[in-house]
Amino acid sequence: MGKRRFTEVWRVWAVMAAIVLATGVVTLRLVQLQIIDHAQYAADARLIHYGQDTLADRRGALLDRNGYPLAASEAAFNVMVEKRAWEDPAEAQAAADSLAEATDASAAEMIRIVRDTEAFEVPVARGLNYGQGVAVRELRLPGVRLLEGSRRTYPEGNLAAQLLGFVGQENSGLTGLEIDLDSILGGSPGQVIYERDGIGNQLAFGDRSEIPSRPGANVVLSIDRYIQRLAEQELDRAISDNKAEGGTIIVIQPETGQVLAMASRPTFDVTKPDLSDNSKQALFRNRAITDTYEPGSIFKLVTMAAALDLGLVSPETWWYDEGVVNLSGWSIYNWDFSANGSQTVQQILSKSLNTGAVWLASLCGPTDFYDYIERFGFGVTSDSGLSGEVDGRVRTPDSDPEGWRPIDLATNSFGQGISVTPLQMAMAVAAIANDGVLMKPQLVNEIIDPLGGQVVEPEAVRQVMSAETARTLLDMMGVVSEGVPTAYLDVPGYSIGAKTGTANIATENGGYKPDAYISSLVGVAPLEDPAIAVLVKIDEPEGVPWGTVVAGPVFSRLVEKTLAYLKVPPTEEVFVSGLQD
Amino acid sequence: MAANRQGSSAIPEVLQDTNLPVILILVTLVVGIAALLPLVQTSLATSTGGNVSRLEQLREDWQARLHEQEVNVARLGSLDRIESEAQERLKMVAPDSVTYLRVDAPAPAPQRIPSRYLSEEEGPVEGESLWEEFFGWLPLP
Repeated sequence: MGKRRFTEVWRVWAVMAAIVLATGVVTLRLVQLQIIDHAQYAADARLIHYGQDTLADRRGALLDRNGYPLAASEAAFNVMVEKRAWEDPAEAQAAADSLAEATDASAAEMIRIVRDTEAFEVPVARGLNYGQGVAVRELRLPGVRLLEGSRRTYPEGNLAAQLLGFVGQENSGLTGLEIDLDSILGGSPGQVIYERDGIGNQLAFGDRSEIPSRPGANVVLSIDRYIQRLAEQELDRAISDNKAEGGTIIVIQPETGQVLAMASRPTFDVTKPDLSDNSKQALFRNRAITDTYEPGSIFKLVTMAAALDLGLVSPETWWYDEGVVNLSGWSIYNWDFSANGSQTVQQILSKSLNTGAVWLASLCGPTDFYDYIERFGFGVTSDSGLSGEVDGRVRTPDSDPEGWRPIDLATNSFGQGISVTPLQMAMAVAAIANDGVLMKPQLVNEIIDPLGGQVVEPEAVRQVMSAETARTLLDMMGVVSEGVPTAYLDVPGYSIGAKTGTANIATENGGYKPDAYISSLVGVAPLEDPAIAVLVKIDEPEGVPWGTVVAGPVFSRLVEKTLAYLKVPPTEEVFVSGLQD
Repeated sequence: MAANRQGSSAIPEVLQDTNLPVILILVTLVVGIAALLPLVQTSLATSTGGNVSRLEQLREDWQARLHEQEVNVARLGSLDRIESEAQERLKMVAPDSVTYLRVDAPAPAPQRIPSRYLSEEEGPVEGESLWEEFFGWLPLP
């Protein structure tokens, strides 16, 4: 009896112990799940039950001054695949085959991407167009969804490629105006967090919170697509005709400082920029602002402006050219080694006499001469707003007391020993055409934003010289252009002003590259009331390197077409018929 | 018997006249319908939610197609395409010489930026629905 009683009690205790033990195990497991590992499991649950998307809105367009899009965005779709949905190889293969058919992508590559990722989901195809996106959506594949974004397109092809730049995979600007205006064009992305069902679709009445995105603003540039295209066509032709290494053409509206065209060569394919080859990345830079060069004889305009504005000379002032200037042990000759005897100041410019320029600079003296160089905007960036713009190099007695020598004043007077950017040079010539007022180069005319736009007003930097001096210098440029044979420089129906230059190319070790030149020309048209100022620069042409021969015809053709396009009336003589006022 | 009659008189007359099973069936039906109401309501709401999602998708699709067409228009208006059409389809050639005419008519007005690139004007604010107005009256936080 006693033994039986003991057995019954033991069994009861055993059952109770088992219950207590089981309860303890369950409790401990619950503590682990809900307290110790709570954060991890909560995160996993959120990952499974909640989806999160970045809402990328449309990137703003870059428009030319007349509203034609140079860069625009269209809808594009990325195909996202959840890793767990493709865990079964057979199902993954079937889904990938279907996707490959709809997207023209490789099924094997898509499977590899999903297999290799550690993320919950991964994009397997990017940048699909609308039709492809719809095709993928209609497949209704489990664990596969479309993420809408946008794709950058360039309706005018490679026009102004270096100026516009391009965007990366995330639709952010990488070069050019695309990066400089990224904060304006890009808008602000939104975010949505939503509850989803077992196959990843959003629940109709599940939790959802959304921060709306804001589309980017459209930006109206000062660039005119027609003039830009003309400039690029003429540049390509000049490089081809002269077997040149490259070149730059800039067209400025003097009154406003607006850049109508900015073209450089060599360039790249903006629709398919090659980021894999480092050697090609140099093509992305906008050489009109990032590269400097010694301008050569076109810089005599600056020297002449200083001497005229200081009242030291007039166009009719006489001077005697001995053909050589000896200074500090150096001999400076004219470009053709000529000695011209008595010459007027006008002839110094017309014949592009180096010795005359040295004489003018010596009349000014270093203080005033470099003061005018600074007033023209050389030695500092033009504040164009373009990234990568450089200052250029101007060595003055003040900036480099140890390095500056009197010979520098002499060589600087005819544009050697000083480096400038093409844009600085073009803006300086535009200042001459704008009654002596230097304008800030303007590339953006207007920002059109849903939240309120902004019209950019032209901005004057300073009065470089008096309006009278500017007019005198313009007339002198007119005389210069009249002296050039019409085979090289002629715009029928218009009077123009110009100055040509042929400059040596400085090397990094301080010397000059042998038998290599930069042929350039700066000019304005029409001379009476300039509508455009143009810089043409051709790098290292083969054969005759003179600016007159190489750059003159480029300027003539470009200006003739541009003035007609801008509806600038020619002089009366060319009207052959029609109703007179 | 007299006591039974008194007990019967305690039951309302309506119930005395009506068949009890019928009442029970009616009550069951009412309860059943009442129970179905939330289900129907939820079903309708889910269906409406689905329709909203579908319409939102439709709107995004049209927006995408609109943007695609805008880009297509831009491509069709590109200078390269215009030149190619002029030369290849219309057989136009560049002029050998230019003739200038002076006319009394004023020059055309400068081209305006296409309206699709201008900022959208604020549209009229839509009135609130009856439900929104109703909830607006409630002292909700």
